[in-house]
Amino acid sequence: MKRTRIVWLVLALLMVGTLIWAGGGKEAASDDSGAVVLRYTSLRTEDQERENSKNAEFTKLFPNIKIQFEAIKDTEYDTVLKTSLETGVAADIVMLRSFDGGRQIYDGGYLVELNDIIPGMHDTFTANSIATWATEDGVMYGVPYFGSITGVWYNIDIFNKYGLKEPETWAEFIAICEKLKNAGETVFAHGTKDQWAITETLYCDLGPNFYGGEDSRQKLMAKEIKYTDPKFVKAYEKIGELVKYFPSGYQGIDYVTMQQMFLNEQAAMFIAGSWELGIIRDAEVNAGWFPPPVEKKGDPLHYAFYADLALGINKNTEHMEEAIEFLKWVASPDHAKLLANALPGMFPTLKIHYDIDDALALEIIESTQMSHVVPTGQLMWEKLSLEEPSGETLQNEAVQRFLNGTFTAKQAVEYVQKGLDTWYFK
Amino acid sequence: MIRTRKRRYYLLLYLAPAAILYAVFMLIPILQSLRYSLFTGRGLVPDEFVGFDNYVKLFTQFPFRDRFINVLKNNFYYFALVMVFQNAFGFVLAILITRKIKGSKQFKTLFFIPTALSAVIVGFIFKLVLNPVWGIFNIALKSLGLEVLIRSWLGDPTIALPVLAIVTAWHNIGIPVIFFTAGIDSISVDLVEASRIDGVSVWGEIRHIIIPILAPIIGIVTILTFVGNFSEFEIVYSMQSVYGNPEYSTDIFGALFYRTTFGSQVNSVNDVGLGATIASVMFIIIFLGVTLIQRFSKRRT
Amino acid sequence: MTHNTIKKITSKTLIYLVLILHSIMIIAPLLLMILSSLKKSRAIFQEPFGLPKPVHWGNFEKLFVQQNYLSYFANSIIVTLFALATIIVFASLASYAIGKYSFKGNAQVYTFFILGLMIPIRLGTINIMQMFITMDLFNKLLALVIVYAAMGIPAGIMILTGFIRDIPDELSDAARIDGCSETGIFIRIIVPLLSPAIVVAAVYNLMPIWNDFWFPLVLINKDQLSTIPLATARLFGKHETDFGLLYAILTAAAIPPIALFVGLSKYFIKGLTSGAVKG
Repeated sequence: MKRTRIVWLVLALLMVGTLIWAGGGKEAASDDSGAVVLRYTSLRTEDQERENSKNAEFTKLFPNIKIQFEAIKDTEYDTVLKTSLETGVAADIVMLRSFDGGRQIYDGGYLVELNDIIPGMHDTFTANSIATWATEDGVMYGVPYFGSITGVWYNIDIFNKYGLKEPETWAEFIAICEKLKNAGETVFAHGTKDQWAITETLYCDLGPNFYGGEDSRQKLMAKEIKYTDPKFVKAYEKIGELVKYFPSGYQGIDYVTMQQMFLNEQAAMFIAGSWELGIIRDAEVNAGWFPPPVEKKGDPLHYAFYADLALGINKNTEHMEEAIEFLKWVASPDHAKLLANALPGMFPTLKIHYDIDDALALEIIESTQMSHVVPTGQLMWEKLSLEEPSGETLQNEAVQRFLNGTFTAKQAVEYVQKGLDTWYFK
Repeated sequence: MIRTRKRRYYLLLYLAPAAILYAVFMLIPILQSLRYSLFTGRGLVPDEFVGFDNYVKLFTQFPFRDRFINVLKNNFYYFALVMVFQNAFGFVLAILITRKIKGSKQFKTLFFIPTALSAVIVGFIFKLVLNPVWGIFNIALKSLGLEVLIRSWLGDPTIALPVLAIVTAWHNIGIPVIFFTAGIDSISVDLVEASRIDGVSVWGEIRHIIIPILAPIIGIVTILTFVGNFSEFEIVYSMQSVYGNPEYSTDIFGALFYRTTFGSQVNSVNDVGLGATIASVMFIIIFLGVTLIQRFSKRRT
Repeated sequence: MTHNTIKKITSKTLIYLVLILHSIMIIAPLLLMILSSLKKSRAIFQEPFGLPKPVHWGNFEKLFVQQNYLSYFANSIIVTLFALATIIVFASLASYAIGKYSFKGNAQVYTFFILGLMIPIRLGTINIMQMFITMDLFNKLLALVIVYAAMGIPAGIMILTGFIRDIPDELSDAARIDGCSETGIFIRIIVPLLSPAIVVAAVYNLMPIWNDFWFPLVLINKDQLSTIPLATARLFGKHETDFGLLYAILTAAAIPPIALFVGLSKYFIKGLTSGAVKG
C-alpha cells in the first residue's frame, strides 16, 4: 500500500516539475560568448551553408552579433511566417516575397518601416526593386535581397554530344528538342506536380515572349486587357508544344525531382531560375544557360528578371538595434558583392556596378543587358494576388491542368479570368 | 454508507478535472468553430460578424464552391475506396487468420505494424517509393517485366486518389483485422460446429453466422473509418501537398480546412472565418454520418 | 475422404498464400526503407534492391550529429509521457465516479465524455490555437501536453469505466466500514485493481499522441521544440535532395514506434478491442 502511494507521489512531482520545464524554456537570446544571436528566417533551404559563410563576414565586423539562419521549405514558409508573426515567435529578420506576398505581411502590421532607419537605399538599389517592397506612399518595409532571372539551363556535355547550339528562336529550340528526343535523351527535367514551379519556371519564364512581357503585365494590372486576351492564349499554346518532350510520368514529377534529374545529368535541359546556380556548382554539372527563345529573330526578348526576395525587420524583435545593424549591412554594396559571389545566381538589384566572379553567373546577368531585352516580372505577383481567389493560385491551377491535358488553352485563360472577375475585375 | 453531501463533494472532485480539461480544450473549441463561421476578418481572430456570408461564399461563389463540391466528392470516394481496400480486405484477412492456421498471432501482429507509424511518415515513404523517376515501385515493375503497368502514380488525376486510399489501407489495415478477429474469436465454437454438421458452406457460414454477429463491430469500424477519412490530412499533406495535387484530385476536407485557415504557398490569403465554416461543415457531415451508420448497423443486428 | 483432404490442403495453401503475400506487401516498403538508409544516395539509384555493401552509417551520423535528432526524440517522450499521465489520473478519477457512484445523470455524463470519440479534435483547432496564444503557451510543449490530454480523456474513460464496473462493490464497502476515507478507497483499493486497465488505456493513447502531426504543425514552429513527426516533415523538406538521408530520417522515426508496438502488442490489441467487443 505504501509503495503505491510513493509511486503516485513521485509521478505527481515529476509531472509538475516537467510541466514547469516544458512551459518555460525561454530561448537564450545570447550564446556563451555573450554575443546577441539574431534569428534570420528564409525559404531557401538550399542555402544553409552558403548563407552561414556569408553571414560570418558580418560577425567579423560586429563580433557581438551572430546570425542564426533558419530555413523553412518554400512551400511551408508563408504559413509558418504568418503564424509565427501573429503569435509573437517570429525571427528577428524575416525574408519577404515580392509584391503581394510581402505586402500582406506589412499590412498585417508586423514590419518595421525602413525609410529613416536605413538611409541611402535609393542610391544603392534600382527604383523598381525598392518599389517592390514599398507602399504607394513610398513607405519601405524591405531591403531588396536578390533578383532572379528565369531561363533555360542545359547540360553542355549532352549538347556537345549532338553538336547543339544555344537556340535563339522558338523554332531552333523545338528543333533541339526534337533532335534530343529522337536520339533517345530525356529532353527536359520537367514535371507538373508542383504548381508553383510550372508557373514560375514555365509560363512566366518562356511565356512572356508570346504574351507580350511587361507591357501586357502592366495592362492586365490596369485592367486594360483581360487574361482571356489572345496573347495569353498563345503563350499557353506555345508552352504546350513542349509537353511531348517531357519525361514519361511527368505529371508525377515534382520540383525536387526536376532539380535532381538535371543535377544527376539525367536530362538535357531544365527550365528554371538563376537561383539554381548554387546547387549546380555543388553538383559540378557542366551547365550552360540561355534566355527564353523569342518567336522570330529580331523580336524583343521579354526576359523575366525580377526582384524576388527582400529582408524585413520583425516589429516585435527584442534586438532592434542589432537587426538594424544587420539590414544596414545587407543594404550596403559590400554585401551585394559578397552575396553575388557566395550565392551565385542570386543577383543583388543594385544600381551600381558590382563584380561577379562566377563566369556563368556573369554570363546570365550580362544576357539581361543585351539591347533587345525588355525585363519583366512574374505575371500575378503584383496586385492580382491580394485577395482570394488569388491570381497566382488560379494561374497555378490553370497551367497544371493545361499541361496535363485537362484544359485547353482557352479553358485555362477563361478559368483564371472567371476567378479574377470575382474581385479584381469587379 | 457515505452521507450525501460528502458523496456529492467527492463526485465533483473526481469528475471535475477530466470534465474541465475535456470541455475547455475539446468540446468548446469545436463549438467555437461553429460561431466563428459567422465571422470574417484577417488574422487569427475573425471579428466582423457577417451572418451566413461565409456559407454563401462556400456554397455558391466561384471558385470556393467548386473546391467545396470537389472535396465533398473526393472525400466520399476516398471513404468508399478505403472501405473496400482496408475494411473489406481486412475482413477477408481476419477470416483467413481465424481459420485454424499456424502463426495466426504473428500475422495479426505483422499486419498491425504500419498502424504504429505516423501517417506523415507513411506518406513520405510512399512518396519516395512511387516517384516516377527513381521510385522503387516502378523499378520493381520493370525488373519483373511488367512495364505496361507503370503509371505516374501520384501525378495522374484519375488514379492519384485511389493510390492514396491504398496507402491509407496499407497503413491502417491492422485495425479492422484486430477488430474482426476479436469478433470472430468471440463466436462460440458450438455454433460454428453445429452449422458445419448441418453442411453449411464456408460462404454460408460467413453470411449467416459471422456477418450478423459482427454487425456491431462492422458498424464501429465503419464509424472509425468515416471519422478518420473525413478529417484526414496527413497523408495528402505528405504525398500531394496541401493543394491535393494533381489538379485537386486528392483534395479532401482536411487539406481544404488547413489551406483555407492557415494559408498556403506563394501569394495566397488565409481566411480563418472561411476555415471555421469548413470545420463546421465537416462537423455536420461527421455527425450525420456517424448517426446514420449507427442507425443502420443497429437495424442489422 | 481423399477428395476432402485435397480440398482442405489446397484451401490451406491458398490461405497461406494470401496471408504471406500481404505480409510481403507490408514488409517490403519498410525493409527497402531500412536498407536504403544504410546506403549512399548514389547506391540507392544504382542498386535499389541490393544489400548495402558496405553498410554506410553516414546518413545516421548526419542525422544524429548534425541535426540534433535526439532532442526531437526527447520532446516526443516528454509530451507523450505527461499527456498519458494526465489522461490516466484524470480519466481514472472520472471513471471511478461514473462506474461506482450512482447519481442522477450518470449515463449522460458518460455519453458526454464518449462523444469525444466521435468528433475529431482538430475541428476546434482555430480556437485551441487562440487559447494557447492568450495563455502564452504557443510554441511550448505544455500546449501539446494539454491538447493531447484532452484528446485522450474520452478513450481513457471508455476503457477504465468498463473495468471499474467489473470491480465488485463489496471490496470498497468493506473498506468504508473499516473507516477508510473516500480518497483512501480510491488509492488503496481501486487503483491497484485497476492497474492492468491503466496499462491498456495508456497504451491505447500512446500511438495517437506519439504519432500526431497536426498539432505540432499548428502549435509549434520552433525547430528545437519539434516532436518526431514534425521534425520528420521539416527535415524531409530541408534535405529533399539527399535520398540516403531521407531514408535515414524515415527509418529513425519509424523504428521506435514499431519496436514499442511489438513489445506492447498484447495491450494494444486489448485496448483496441475492449470497447468494441464489449459493445
